[in-house]
Amino acid sequence: MLLETKGLTKRFGGLVAVKDFDIQVAEGEIVGLIGPNGAGKSTVFNLITGVFPVTSGRVLFDGRDITGKQPEQVARLGIGRTFQLNPLFHEFTVLENVTSSFELHPHSSLFDIFFNTRKYRRNEAFIAERAHEILHVVGLERVADELAKNLPHGHQKMLGVARALATRPRLLLLDEPLSGMNPSEIDTSLEAIRSMRDHGITILIVEHNMQILRLCDRVVVISFGQKICEGSPAEVRANEEVISAYFGADYVC
Amino acid sequence: MSDMTEIDTTDIRLVPESAVGQEVAQTKSRRWPGLSVLGGLVLVLALLPLGISGSYYMHVLILTFFYVVIASSWRVVSISGQFNIAIGAFMGIGAYAAAIPSVWLHWSPWVTIPLGAVAATIVGALLAYPFARLRTIYYAMGTLFLGYVVINLITAGGKTTGMSTGLGGVEPLFSDRTYYYYLAFGLMLVSLACMYRLEFSRIGVRMKAIAQSHQVAASVGIGERRNRILAVAFGSFFAGLMGAVYCHYQGVASPNSYGLGATLWIIMYVLVGGINSFWGPAVGVGMLLVIPEFFFRDLKGNLPYVTAAILLIIAFTMPEGIVGLLKAITDRVSRRFRRGEVSGDAP
Repeated sequence: MLLETKGLTKRFGGLVAVKDFDIQVAEGEIVGLIGPNGAGKSTVFNLITGVFPVTSGRVLFDGRDITGKQPEQVARLGIGRTFQLNPLFHEFTVLENVTSSFELHPHSSLFDIFFNTRKYRRNEAFIAERAHEILHVVGLERVADELAKNLPHGHQKMLGVARALATRPRLLLLDEPLSGMNPSEIDTSLEAIRSMRDHGITILIVEHNMQILRLCDRVVVISFGQKICEGSPAEVRANEEVISAYFGADYVC
Repeated sequence: MSDMTEIDTTDIRLVPESAVGQEVAQTKSRRWPGLSVLGGLVLVLALLPLGISGSYYMHVLILTFFYVVIASSWRVVSISGQFNIAIGAFMGIGAYAAAIPSVWLHWSPWVTIPLGAVAATIVGALLAYPFARLRTIYYAMGTLFLGYVVINLITAGGKTTGMSTGLGGVEPLFSDRTYYYYLAFGLMLVSLACMYRLEFSRIGVRMKAIAQSHQVAASVGIGERRNRILAVAFGSFFAGLMGAVYCHYQGVASPNSYGLGATLWIIMYVLVGGINSFWGPAVGVGMLLVIPEFFFRDLKGNLPYVTAAILLIIAFTMPEGIVGLLKAITDRVSRRFRRGEVSGDAP
């Protein structure tokens, strides 16, 4: 298993946001994490990436216990993520958003940076080149010098993904990548996510939009902080508990 | 990932292609006039003592050099998103760490000045650690009280610190003011070069990234705490250094010079000059310190009112400060110039 949580629990005061949550993600899978509003999906992400400290339970990444690590340490281990809201450095240009995500590969020490050593200059040249490649791939190269805040919403989301890709993650956590997108943008994004998997990146998606079921190998359904069902998209669609908890009686597939 | 290239980018362009091209050409051609203005200024300031040697104006310029460094060091801390209201206190730590061994142990100024800078850096880094838990207004409030604590410790220090009257008899570095002029001038050039290097290297990028979103920064591996501590330590070094040199220049270290009042003046220099620009603090110090002293000395008693008026006008009309305004003007002028050129080329 690339990612595994065991008995993950998070309490905010008296409110139990996530309770005894187990999830396994194998290398090369696309796993969907779905559930109604406030079910605790994003909290699970924040627990995995160390944004919130866990109340109890463990997070294992590639067999290694990463519970309690700081977010930047988790990123360093190879878990990239996008954000639902505020996914960018708004005052940076599109290009700077991507280059600033190359912190990890290659990393320049403070000494190298301050004294502008050959190693630092070589790293920077490499970063600039790779950043342009990534922007080319996501189709944002033509706006590389625009400020990120001036991009339309769909492209900001795409830039968020580009930024996460620049950290060269083994596991990518996508937080509602389809929200606020129109149907054609959704199609493009689904294609993009699939091609990332084909390039060897394991993907865990939190999503509201049921279109995501087309993409997933496996789906985990969470409601009121607890896992209520797990299986293939078809199994989940057929599960009565899921239908009553999430889709509602009127849901038409 | 070749599938992703199919994304339609035709609707993303917000500025016409030609305008973007111009922008690039402008920044290239603008660099040279900027550099020559800077070089000319440095040359004039380097030769100035020949003309005004020993006069009061020389003292004003020495002060200016000090405050350019201190205001710039405050801005360095601010680019990591930290609105530090204790910069005066760090000057004070540098000053007293130099003054106490100088007065009581008769150490050489060449030892006490580096000592002051190092002391301010270490205290700054140690205090930055707990303060890295605070953000935005809470950080500002925390440092506000930190400033008070430092001043209170100094005034409560008994004979060692000279209490509220200050510690006099700090050994001077030179007898001739011209030497101080060149020392302060040289330190300013070196300090600004270091700060420029920091801001426009990857370290500065990290700091600016944290200021915009610490969550996004962490998700790409930029540690918030480490970089914020680094910013404070770096800024405190220069504040402490200048505090130490300043007290050797004046011969006295007095708590009044390092309190909230001093800090607010420093912040005002930066805000008036432009907080988003590297040269903002220098321009702000020039506006509020040099110009009134040189040209409006008759106003002396009314200076606070003039300053208040300047501040209000700037706050309302140019939130990006004077440098921001200059940038907007030069952008507009060069755009008009370009447009004229283009239409001139047309048949």
